[in-house]
Amino acid sequence: MPKPIRRLIGLLGLLTIVSMVTFGAMNFLGDPLFNILGPVAADVDNPESLKVIEEAKAQYHLDKSLPERWARWAWDFVRGDFGVQFSSSGQPPVSDLIKERLPRTLELMAVAQIIAVSIAIPWSVLAASRANRRTDKISTITAFAFVSIPSFAMAVILFYFFSVQWDLLPDTYTATDPFWGISHDHRLIQLILPGFTLGLGSAAAYQRLLRTDLITTLQQDFILMAKSKGVSKRRVLYSHALRPSLFSMITLLAINIGFMIGGSLVVEQFFRIPGIGSAVVEATLREDFPVVLAIVMIVSAGFMVFNYIADYLYTLIDPRVRHEDTSKPRKITSMGM
Amino acid sequence: MNEEQEINADEVKNDSQASEEETSISDSTQLEVSEFADKKTLGFGFWLATFWLVLISFLAVFSPILPFKDADKNYIAYEQKENPLTGKVQERPVQPPYAPSGEHWLGTDQDARDILSRTIEGARISLAVGALTALFGMVVGGTLGMIAGYFKGTLDKIIGAIFLVVLSFPGLILAILIVALLDRSLLTISVTLGILGVSPIGRLARAQTLSFSEREFVMAAETLGAKKSRILIKELLPNVLIPMSTLAMLVIAVAIVSEGTLAFLGLSVQNSATWGKLILTGSGLSTLESSPWVAFVPMGFLFLTVASFNYLSDRIRDYFDVRDIFVTRD
Amino acid sequence: MLHETSEADNILELSDYRVGFRTERGLAKAVDGVSLSLQRGSTLAIVGESGSGKTVLNRGIMGLLGANIIEGGSAKFQGEELANTSRQKFWGTKMAMIFQDPMTSLNPVMKVGKQVSEPLRLHQGMSKKEARDRTVELFTLVGIPEPMKRFSEYPHQLSGGMRQRVMISIALAIEPDILIADEPTTSLDVTVQKYILDLLVDVQSKSNMSMIIITHDLGVARGRSDEIMVMYGGRIMEKAPSESVFVEMKHPYTEALLSSIPRLSDPKHTRLTPIEGFPPDIVDGPQGCKFAARCKYAQDICLTSTPEETIIDTHTYFCHFPVGTDAGAEAFKSNKDRGFTAAGLRIKSKREVV
Repeated sequence: MPKPIRRLIGLLGLLTIVSMVTFGAMNFLGDPLFNILGPVAADVDNPESLKVIEEAKAQYHLDKSLPERWARWAWDFVRGDFGVQFSSSGQPPVSDLIKERLPRTLELMAVAQIIAVSIAIPWSVLAASRANRRTDKISTITAFAFVSIPSFAMAVILFYFFSVQWDLLPDTYTATDPFWGISHDHRLIQLILPGFTLGLGSAAAYQRLLRTDLITTLQQDFILMAKSKGVSKRRVLYSHALRPSLFSMITLLAINIGFMIGGSLVVEQFFRIPGIGSAVVEATLREDFPVVLAIVMIVSAGFMVFNYIADYLYTLIDPRVRHEDTSKPRKITSMGM
Repeated sequence: MNEEQEINADEVKNDSQASEEETSISDSTQLEVSEFADKKTLGFGFWLATFWLVLISFLAVFSPILPFKDADKNYIAYEQKENPLTGKVQERPVQPPYAPSGEHWLGTDQDARDILSRTIEGARISLAVGALTALFGMVVGGTLGMIAGYFKGTLDKIIGAIFLVVLSFPGLILAILIVALLDRSLLTISVTLGILGVSPIGRLARAQTLSFSEREFVMAAETLGAKKSRILIKELLPNVLIPMSTLAMLVIAVAIVSEGTLAFLGLSVQNSATWGKLILTGSGLSTLESSPWVAFVPMGFLFLTVASFNYLSDRIRDYFDVRDIFVTRD
Repeated sequence: MLHETSEADNILELSDYRVGFRTERGLAKAVDGVSLSLQRGSTLAIVGESGSGKTVLNRGIMGLLGANIIEGGSAKFQGEELANTSRQKFWGTKMAMIFQDPMTSLNPVMKVGKQVSEPLRLHQGMSKKEARDRTVELFTLVGIPEPMKRFSEYPHQLSGGMRQRVMISIALAIEPDILIADEPTTSLDVTVQKYILDLLVDVQSKSNMSMIIITHDLGVARGRSDEIMVMYGGRIMEKAPSESVFVEMKHPYTEALLSSIPRLSDPKHTRLTPIEGFPPDIVDGPQGCKFAARCKYAQDICLTSTPEETIIDTHTYFCHFPVGTDAGAEAFKSNKDRGFTAAGLRIKSKREVV
């Protein structure tokens, strides 16, 4: 079997394990019955309560064994039925909740990544073309600082300057608008602050990688060759040096998107964006397991898929890969919360 | 022709012919490269970062016996003011927060509590979370990774699978899940974050052990009949420790940031001031408008600390030529 | 190869040209006072080991050394002073360069056709179509089979020889006045080397282009150049019309270079003699003759005084004890009797070698 296919099957196996562990932990550490019924769940002496308890147990299959319940959940899940919420009297179903909230998170991520890449590329080119001179040194320190600013701190800083002090950008997100079917313009403006909050840190991370790779590329003979052909400095940078330097950054980009699906929690919380990040926080605090489980699955799957893409993207965008002469990209060890 | 053949080498082995192909690219590139290579020093920034970390750790550890203001006391200031109704001069409390002054170097919050003292107090918890997390990650991850790398085979496969599964979880969601289901004690939070650090540290330890276990000095020890545990501790651990500690520094930074993240989600260490909680308290709209220092002072401390750990890790990796790139996200 | 020339026909004129790099140890004098003139339509071969400064000299002329260098003396291209000025206006119009390794000097992620047509579009204002047609034409000229197909392939899909042909077509595309080929065949298979060299000479002789071939192999220079210049330690050691270098070499370094390359006329199992030692330090170099430390003719004077330029007709060399003269023979004999040279290089007798 070809390696990509084998890996894909491996990923499905991993997802199964993730769902089992999460499912088990939530039932083992938490108390689903209590989370559905509230205090009534403990009132087993009252025959009326007992009846309610029995009904609920039957309805949610809580009287079945843990493996059987997992199997039922898994069967429903692959068919697109994510179950009902424990709280809010079960409405809307989890799949509808996800349908409403996931696009908001994806939109935020898209905005953030577009901001990150459009800052990182010119920034890296500028720094690399002046490698080890003052501009480059200052920009290296700046990038380093940006990488070290956590997203919640970045949120507070941007919010303070652009909303509180200068009153330039909206700090609130109109959560009541439905996601689908209305104009996105005003929402895009509302996404500028959260987008920059997530994007600036990523931009700095990309800059650090891309700058190094660009400097390496700029020392190659084919850059001298391009110069000797009379290609202008700017064109040498953007159309000769940039493309062969992009591969590590694109790999990181893919990994990063995978991370961000789960990583936008704080930003969503801070700017009150009802995405899946804030959904999972609310659901966790309420111990609303079907919602948590669904989101854990989506985020894990997204994370794995983007890591998978990151590994093979290389082969798609680098024409050299079919030959052995490609040097292996540097190993990127991702680590984060 | 024959005459030249009489000339022969002394000890010096001539490899100028052999190296011709690689080195003749350009004399200039060699010169430029050597310029970079000369900079193999830790540098001023390294010592600056170290200084800050030593200072903040010292303040955190010894804050109970240092002459700081009480972090929980409300230092209400009073002023003499004429009562507009009675016309009498009375002593009246001034509405906090108070801006930075000689009395409160970094100002106070809305409850008139001293920000400097509270930030130092917060450092105790935040640094403890960072240290415990890294410790857990290094002990558990390091042990598992070294065992996997040294014994190889089935053990390696099992441990590798565990690392993979842990890495597949969305870290922060896993953390809030565990913390929400269990409790919000310092230990729970640190161990939870530590679990997330186990896989990256473990994988690094495994890779390092794997590469070192095939080196001559390990082979030599094995041939001499040294016990496996002895080889692991005496021969391999010292070599794994440096790359592992550079990663552990990042884990500390990530843990400190994650504590802040948890605080913003309402899940940080209970009943204690932490940097994350302090920043959160100061980040409300009205507080930011009236007294930005409440948020920005602990944020500055947190930033300097996180940046120092990142920088140290970076420099040490450079210095010892560890080639991996670590990417941290919060 | 044209020969009838006058002073005005000199396309390139260097006098006491120097290139230095700023390093932490001090100024590295990579090219230390080189004078030469290159006539329109003629070919000069620069020969030397790595570290002899030949590559820096040529990249210096091309102006491709970056900002970290100091140029001295004068380098005139078509009467215009090059030293310490930008050569941007000559790039892609009048000057072209072929690099040593076509694998690293072709952009790995750009189709080769685009790399050839790029200067055409930039400098000759050709449309995409025109540039494409011209590129295919050039590919045919340099002997690339299936030129249409090759146009949209990437460098890694071509063999080493084909890549170097692509490089040559890039250089030829702009019809330069001067072409500098830096070790154009070093990275290629021996079987391909001859074809590429002959191709270069062929296209050069068809146009009125001047050419500088840089090589460490005197054999490459033979028969493919009008003049050969031997460089060592950033200086000229010997400069002479191509054939006379082989027949009446004057410099011990040239002699040493010659005996370090195999020749078809050699009997089987002839021992090649590598040149002992390493090129001199260019930051804190030796006094006197740069080659003295490795020279079997070296006498005391070689260590203290730099030899003057000796010119006999078209033959120029810098040596106190030239090969093939009485002084040289005497110097070698006295060193051989002593068993070592003035610089301390041991000379073993035949007995010891066996």
